Amino acid sequence: MAELAAAAPRSLLGLTYRRFRRHRLAVASALLLLVLALAAIAAPLVAAALGVDAETVNLLGRFQAPSLAHPLGTDELGRDVLVRLLYGGRVSLIVGVAAALASAVIGTAVGLVAGYYGGRLDAILMRVTDSVITLPVLPLLIVLAALDLGKLGLPEALTQSQQISLYRIVAIIALVGWTRVARLVRGATLSMREREFVLAAQAQGASALRIMGVHILPNVVSPIIVSTTLSVGGIILFESILSFLGLGIQPPLPSWGNMLTGAQELIWDAPQLVVYPGLLIFATVIAFNFLGDGLQDALDPRAAR
Amino acid sequence: MTAPLLALRDVVKHFPAGRAGWFARPATVHAVNGVSLEVGRGETVAVVGESGCGKTTLARLAVSLYAPDAGRVSIDGTDVTGLGAHALKPYRRRVQMIFQDPYGSLNPRLPVSAILAEPLVIHGLGARAERRRRVEEAAQAVALQAGQLDRYPHEFSGGQRQRIAIARALIARPELLVADEPLSALDVSIQVAILDLFRALKRDFGIALLFISHDLAVVDLIADRIAVMYLGHIVETAARADLFRAPAHPYTRALIAAVPAMGHGKRARGGPKSALKGDVPDPIKPPPGCPFHPRCPRAEDLCRRVAPMLDPVAGAGAGHRAACHFRDEVAAMGAP
Amino acid sequence: MTRYVAQRSIESLIVLAVMSVVVYGLIGLMPGDPIDLMINANPNLTPADAARLKALYGLDLPLYERYWNWLTAALGGDFGYSRLFSRPVLEVLPAYLGRTAILMGASFVLSVAIAIPTGIWAATRPYSRADYVINLLSFAGISVAPFWLALLLIMLFAVGLGWLPAGGMQTVGLDSLADKAAHLVLPVLALTLLSVAGVTRYVRAEMIGVLRQDYVRTARAKGVPERQVVWRHGLRNALIPVVTVLALDFGALFSGALITETVFAYPGMGKLIYDAILGNDFNMALIGLLFATLLTLVGNLLADLAYAKLDPRISYG
Repeated sequence: MAELAAAAPRSLLGLTYRRFRRHRLAVASALLLLVLALAAIAAPLVAAALGVDAETVNLLGRFQAPSLAHPLGTDELGRDVLVRLLYGGRVSLIVGVAAALASAVIGTAVGLVAGYYGGRLDAILMRVTDSVITLPVLPLLIVLAALDLGKLGLPEALTQSQQISLYRIVAIIALVGWTRVARLVRGATLSMREREFVLAAQAQGASALRIMGVHILPNVVSPIIVSTTLSVGGIILFESILSFLGLGIQPPLPSWGNMLTGAQELIWDAPQLVVYPGLLIFATVIAFNFLGDGLQDALDPRAAR
Repeated sequence: MTAPLLALRDVVKHFPAGRAGWFARPATVHAVNGVSLEVGRGETVAVVGESGCGKTTLARLAVSLYAPDAGRVSIDGTDVTGLGAHALKPYRRRVQMIFQDPYGSLNPRLPVSAILAEPLVIHGLGARAERRRRVEEAAQAVALQAGQLDRYPHEFSGGQRQRIAIARALIARPELLVADEPLSALDVSIQVAILDLFRALKRDFGIALLFISHDLAVVDLIADRIAVMYLGHIVETAARADLFRAPAHPYTRALIAAVPAMGHGKRARGGPKSALKGDVPDPIKPPPGCPFHPRCPRAEDLCRRVAPMLDPVAGAGAGHRAACHFRDEVAAMGAP
Repeated sequence: MTRYVAQRSIESLIVLAVMSVVVYGLIGLMPGDPIDLMINANPNLTPADAARLKALYGLDLPLYERYWNWLTAALGGDFGYSRLFSRPVLEVLPAYLGRTAILMGASFVLSVAIAIPTGIWAATRPYSRADYVINLLSFAGISVAPFWLALLLIMLFAVGLGWLPAGGMQTVGLDSLADKAAHLVLPVLALTLLSVAGVTRYVRAEMIGVLRQDYVRTARAKGVPERQVVWRHGLRNALIPVVTVLALDFGALFSGALITETVFAYPGMGKLIYDAILGNDFNMALIGLLFATLLTLVGNLLADLAYAKLDPRISYG
């Protein structure tokens, strides 16, 4: 009898975990991301250990070869490459996760309201959503990134701060990135809305907010998780593109993207400096994609792949 | 005379069917067409009919899940038709619903204790400790063990889930329960137990019950009054004994005849084959005149042209009414 | 059907109009005095003209008024002067448009020509070693930073091997087709590699789904040769969503072109928009952005129409 009891976990979470474990690539990706995250968190420690920081310019020590003092050498301004890569990793991961979460929150709210209330509200919201989807993302992001934030009425202490480019990029990506989740959640809400336990809650007099939050949302969480994870990769790519173009994370704050700004010249002097940041972007994004893929199969094995 | 607990007067509900093109008018499903029904305090009224007759829509109208397109709904004398959510809320507490599908009517993500406590939370009844006590009390009333309260719905059987649904409906101490085919999704052996539960609730709490079913045999065991529904109309209504002794509508006769073991006291085997011909018509295109005439063995030209009213049957028990031009004749034929 | 086309076209125009309002408003939020910069882009401006234009477009006017003035002028063909080129925007635009069209067109054709057969081939051997490799490569293609890929190509072919030029449209002084073509190779290659990955993945997924269907199994059981099964039965149905995706991809293709042009210093629409925004050439930026919007809208419209035409299950109007 004991073998039967230990055979399969009865909870939904347990079943999901076991399905996920079968995806070797997804598991490997999860581990890789964990390592990257830990490395990024450890950035200040590494900097302290080496006795350098990410921003001090040293024009006498440009393009140094790898050494004990600088494990990956120095860049075109004499800054330590390893430490800049680690701090850049922080930025990419923070932007990726923050913007993905922000998009998820906005998109979920829109999708829930549209799906639950239906009718004209749904039609309007979906019109807006579809319109935003049809906009050219990169040109729009470029315009938004070039805005003078002071004219928006934001306090000067904020607009001149070091981190403003970070906040801005998270905000503008979230502003265009919520649409996929919105459509997903709307579809799921529409199918949930007619379920009897939702009707039961309505018959008891539950408020719309309660029904959306307690009854519908917990039942549509799986696709939201998958979609959000899959979106992180794309967000990191967008951030790196904008930073590369000089419109995202502003120096001296390092980002994998802005470490490659104007790299056309670096190719001649120090090609390895072109490889490192791009390689890290690639590894991180593909890891998030595999992870999302694995999560999708684990959470919804019926989806035809 | 005190107002009935629930009164539906000439309620109409239609639904659009299929997708509306830019110029095509959408087809309409005529689910409920001018139904009047009353449920008094402590009374059990059953509504019987086949699938598609509109009984589920009627049930949902009774608990104000739908607003009627025409007609009025009153609870304890107060007209609640079209009331806003806020004004409607106190009435919702007094009328609770039990659904057909025990697998669908419970939120799979909530533990049973939360499911049961929800009506209390919604209506602000009692603080946390008090709510816990009432949850345990309700569980006990439906023979669920208190130890199971922290489990999730998927860990229970169909019969147990229906008990949970009933407990949830009872916990706010309603005066009327609307049960939409509560037994249909359960195994026969479990049906008996749940039916007994309903009878016990009637007896111990004096709750009024609006019981929707397609099964006359079940209805016979629990109803005080029975209303027979066909294609969105009530075609007959009578006290239980009267209905079975002298049905006054051909459809009712056919329904009773179709039940193998019908017949009070007599365990008749077989019985006359159904005299009904054809299929149930499409509620999108109801026939003119009497809705039943295409299948009625007694139909005449009059039936095609004029829709009969739900009027009293001569010489029958009080409150026995039927919507048939030949109601008196049919009643006189006695039990099928 | 024509009713549907009309309806969708009107919707697209509305989105375009709304987008123009939004972008016009956003331009007003650019650093400095953007309106001033827009007015003074014309080198032949007289003080009287400047004052007149300021009265029409100045930031002290409410947005709707400024916008309306701009709109009426634009619809009449007056898009203002480009600050960077000191010439009317309308004069500068077409050449750049053409060059981007070449870039996007060549990449589109190439990526479709590669992706569809590859995707189909992979789908006919699902979970095989070759399929696994193709799948992996596709995943890689959508995960790589576009500008990095371009840089790598430059490193390999221009610097390392010296076969191809590292950027620009043509060698200074030369005006030969071969020279221009050589300059196109790397940008087109970069853009193609980026698109191919996504499309291949999609084609493969759709074909696998379609080949699993019962009607395909029936055809096989009837003895229909495998090639016919794949082409006649499978492909027709898989193509419908693929066509949709391709059309929807216009927007992404343009974004890709923007990045590629910037890295390779190729003088196309994308680079123009980028230079315009950074160079405070707002007349140009405005028109460029609206063009990009129009492109994606047209892509979406074509996708919807193609979908409606190809899928016999859908009827409109």
